[in-house]
Amino acid sequence: MTRTTDRSHHVIAASELQPGQRVLTEIRGREVGVFNVDGQYYAIGNYCPHMGGPCAEGLVTGMFDADDRGDVSFTRDGEILCCPWHGWQFDLKTGDHLGHSKLRVLTYDVFEEDGELYVRM
Amino acid sequence: MATDTTSSRRFGDLESPIVDADFHLTEQVSDLVPYVERPWRELFIGHNPFDESAEFFDPFPSAGIMEPHITTGRAEIFSPDAVRSADDVEAGMELLGVDLPVVTPGAVMLSVSLVHHDEVAAALARACNSFVLDRIVDETRDVYGTITIAGQKPRLAADEIDDRADESGMIGVYLPTGGLNPPLGDERYDPIYEACERAGLPLLMHGVGSGTMKSFPVQYEGFSRGMENHVIAHPFQHMVNLVSLVVQGVPERFDVDFVFQEAGIGWIPYLMYRLDNEYYARRDDAPMLSRRPSEYMTDDFYYTTQPLEGSQNAPEYVCAMARLMNAPECLLWSSDYPHHDFDHTNEIYRVFAREFERPALERIFGTNAHEVLFE
Ligand code: FES
Repeated sequence: MTRTTDRSHHVIAASELQPGQRVLTEIRGREVGVFNVDGQYYAIGNYCPHMGGPCAEGLVTGMFDADDRGDVSFTRDGEILCCPWHGWQFDLKTGDHLGHSKLRVLTYDVFEEDGELYVRM
Repeated sequence: MATDTTSSRRFGDLESPIVDADFHLTEQVSDLVPYVERPWRELFIGHNPFDESAEFFDPFPSAGIMEPHITTGRAEIFSPDAVRSADDVEAGMELLGVDLPVVTPGAVMLSVSLVHHDEVAAALARACNSFVLDRIVDETRDVYGTITIAGQKPRLAADEIDDRADESGMIGVYLPTGGLNPPLGDERYDPIYEACERAGLPLLMHGVGSGTMKSFPVQYEGFSRGMENHVIAHPFQHMVNLVSLVVQGVPERFDVDFVFQEAGIGWIPYLMYRLDNEYYARRDDAPMLSRRPSEYMTDDFYYTTQPLEGSQNAPEYVCAMARLMNAPECLLWSSDYPHHDFDHTNEIYRVFAREFERPALERIFGTNAHEVLFE
């Protein structure tokens, strides 16, 4: 049985959202992307705080980082969401922008119950 | 094919049409070659031994700058297919909430003044204009183009302007300036200004990232990242050309509107006050001038807004710069769509609305550009 209450909104059966996959849905008039990152679920608003691009529809990738000596590596593959308008990058888990401490995408709680995924809003 | 249109105009009640003074095509070599005229066409019909995937030899030099947000595929909207037809232009107008886009080449042709064969450069500019007239311009849909010229041989550029001047769908002359030497105040460019004056068309100038390798080769050598280059490429190219045009008296000698595209705005008041400062001390170094340099900069020159530095984190800075440059007289809103750093109308309107009332906003977002380009 799936249920949608005032605050919990049914999205999809958990079995239909495998690691690395996403689904776009609309909750209370807001577009939301729900992502499975290595078995953990995250929900992120589809409205980029930069100029309003559809960020939840963008590439999911990793990021370049450098250690103290300047040696570069590519890390956190699958955890970084990129807006398709200008390529700004957000941490899928927190919604935080990678380079601008005050910018973030709205995130929502996701929970699983009886094999179904729900977003709290 | 443009990306889906999730957003369009969401602001104020401007009565004038919104004009976008820098809206790009993503033209490719394969779009241009069919329009290259003989004899130069013969140069393109063989194969390309340097790139087996390419249909034609690519004559446009690139500095090979890697921009991670582009090369990783993150900025998806800036794809080779983004704007290559009138339908694509309309999709972009919808996404931006723009009524009248000033469509200019924005891919390979940005480097036309770097092409290492002066006649081929001129032939490519001519081919591009044929392509634009054939496939892009559609006055019934408010899609207008610009006459692209290559700067290497000003006489050929002037011929091209003369040839296309009667096309009502072409509303300005577009000079990609990256790599041009000497700077634009040199008298060798006079035929271009004469032709613009004859045609009654403004001259739009547009830099390019790769231009640094030829315009500022010593500095370019020392950079090892795209960001170092991109942040200075456009304003440096414009600053050099602007001081050259002013000090050598080009706006005294020709009645042409000059439009500087895509370098943001902070460099404009900086240069105004700096030039005036010099002029007070040594007017004899610029004897052609009958006014202060800053007056030419706001009376004869126009500037497009994008990429509007500070719009994200320092709107008060943007408003101060706009005030200092007398923006309601000389600033033209532009998106630069579909490039990786395009500005969205909603966002930029919000910033300027902090400072200006409706009449001034109408000038910045449409009337100024309408007067310069469409009247
Ligand atoms: S709108 Fe999302 S990166 Fe610009």
